[in-house]
Amino acid sequence: MTLSSSRPSRRLVLGWGAAGLLGAGALAACSDEPPAAPAGPASGSTTPSTTTSARPAYVGDQRGVALCAALASLAASLYSGAVTAAGDGRLGQVPGVVTAFLSGAGAQHTEHAAAWNALLTAAGRPAVSGTPLSVETERRATLGRAAAPTDLLAVAVDIEASVGATVLARAGEFTDAGAAALAATVAPVAAMHGATAAFLLGRPTGVAPGPAGAALGPDALLV
Amino acid sequence: MARRGRRAADGAAGVTAPVSTSPAVSFLPALGAQSGSADVPALRTATSLVVLAQSTYRSLTGLPAGGGDRANPVVRDLLSAATTELGDARDALSSATTGAGGRPQTAPDPVYSSVVAQALPTVRSPADVVGVALTLEDVLAQTLVADAAGLSTPALRATALRLGAAAASRKASLLIVSSLLSSAQSDLVVAPPDLTALPAAVGTVGFPDTRFPTSKASPPEEGSG
Repeated sequence: MTLSSSRPSRRLVLGWGAAGLLGAGALAACSDEPPAAPAGPASGSTTPSTTTSARPAYVGDQRGVALCAALASLAASLYSGAVTAAGDGRLGQVPGVVTAFLSGAGAQHTEHAAAWNALLTAAGRPAVSGTPLSVETERRATLGRAAAPTDLLAVAVDIEASVGATVLARAGEFTDAGAAALAATVAPVAAMHGATAAFLLGRPTGVAPGPAGAALGPDALLV
Repeated sequence: MARRGRRAADGAAGVTAPVSTSPAVSFLPALGAQSGSADVPALRTATSLVVLAQSTYRSLTGLPAGGGDRANPVVRDLLSAATTELGDARDALSSATTGAGGRPQTAPDPVYSSVVAQALPTVRSPADVVGVALTLEDVLAQTLVADAAGLSTPALRATALRLGAAAASRKASLLIVSSLLSSAQSDLVVAPPDLTALPAAVGTVGFPDTRFPTSKASPPEEGSG
């Protein structure tokens, strides 16, 4: 059985090619609009970085991609904050396996944010700067209330559920091939982060997320 | 499990490579380039993998190392939960197949059926159980992720992605358990785990790829017959 020769199309579909996305299709359709204003500080910051814009900087598929970029950046930033909290002694002795999880998942979200933003810039649109999301302040406050290592893992469960649900919801609307392909390869990784957090929490078959684990809609994006 | 890794060695450009932020030459066909008629074989193949995984999990549960006196409780619970989830996945894929104008697949994937048939008689330990399950979840997840980009309608792509993410989640749990069982730390495969005793590497072993790979995805025609 020669699997490799029988289905070349699948390789092509998921190959990295920014020009296909947002390039000639819906994403580029609005490339004559003004760029978004910088949204402020990002990772590690405890200060909300939200800004508002007089007109939508991103529309159509672009808006969904920008939302995913902002949420990936927020996830990375929250994980960075969690790692900091794990190291400052406030939560007691945080096990190395927890810190490793937080660092590893955060690094992948950083790369996901870069990938989403690459789609935007390839289409002539500005990358999302910072984490301009309506939920940012509340999410950071939740992290700030963590009092034990398991609280950090519980926050992670909600982060991953929200990322996964948001990407899944947008994936059901994307008309751009690059955006759909990126969504397809990113959402499962968020699911794997969530499964790891659940395992560490002693719930290997899964943990039901809280309200903060819900999908964000396009209105959550503040640029 | 000889098939594992074959497609990973195919050299599929970009599929498993680290995320790049530099735009590259596009290989991407327009969405919907896979015609509606091509959806049915892909959905039937994904279903065939689900059918095989579900039946295999039931077989594993019937073994001493899967659901009997030599079973690890965590592994047993994973099998049980997965069997339920796979039933839901089968229903969703069958409904999608019907909606796409096809006939739902009820037979197991023929290629991996033979792999399972060879493996089951050799299962002696919880690690063996996890190894079989991991193989099936990996190919199922990769196939569904490929479908999530290749199917012709947003609704079908969303269905595939939802189910692919679920399979990826199960894969992550199995990777964690496998890492502990293979390093003779079965005493750490408990719920809740002793976080202070778990190796730090367990924190990341469940998500080895920044972007989920598809190089081992089954071809659409593999289980469509």
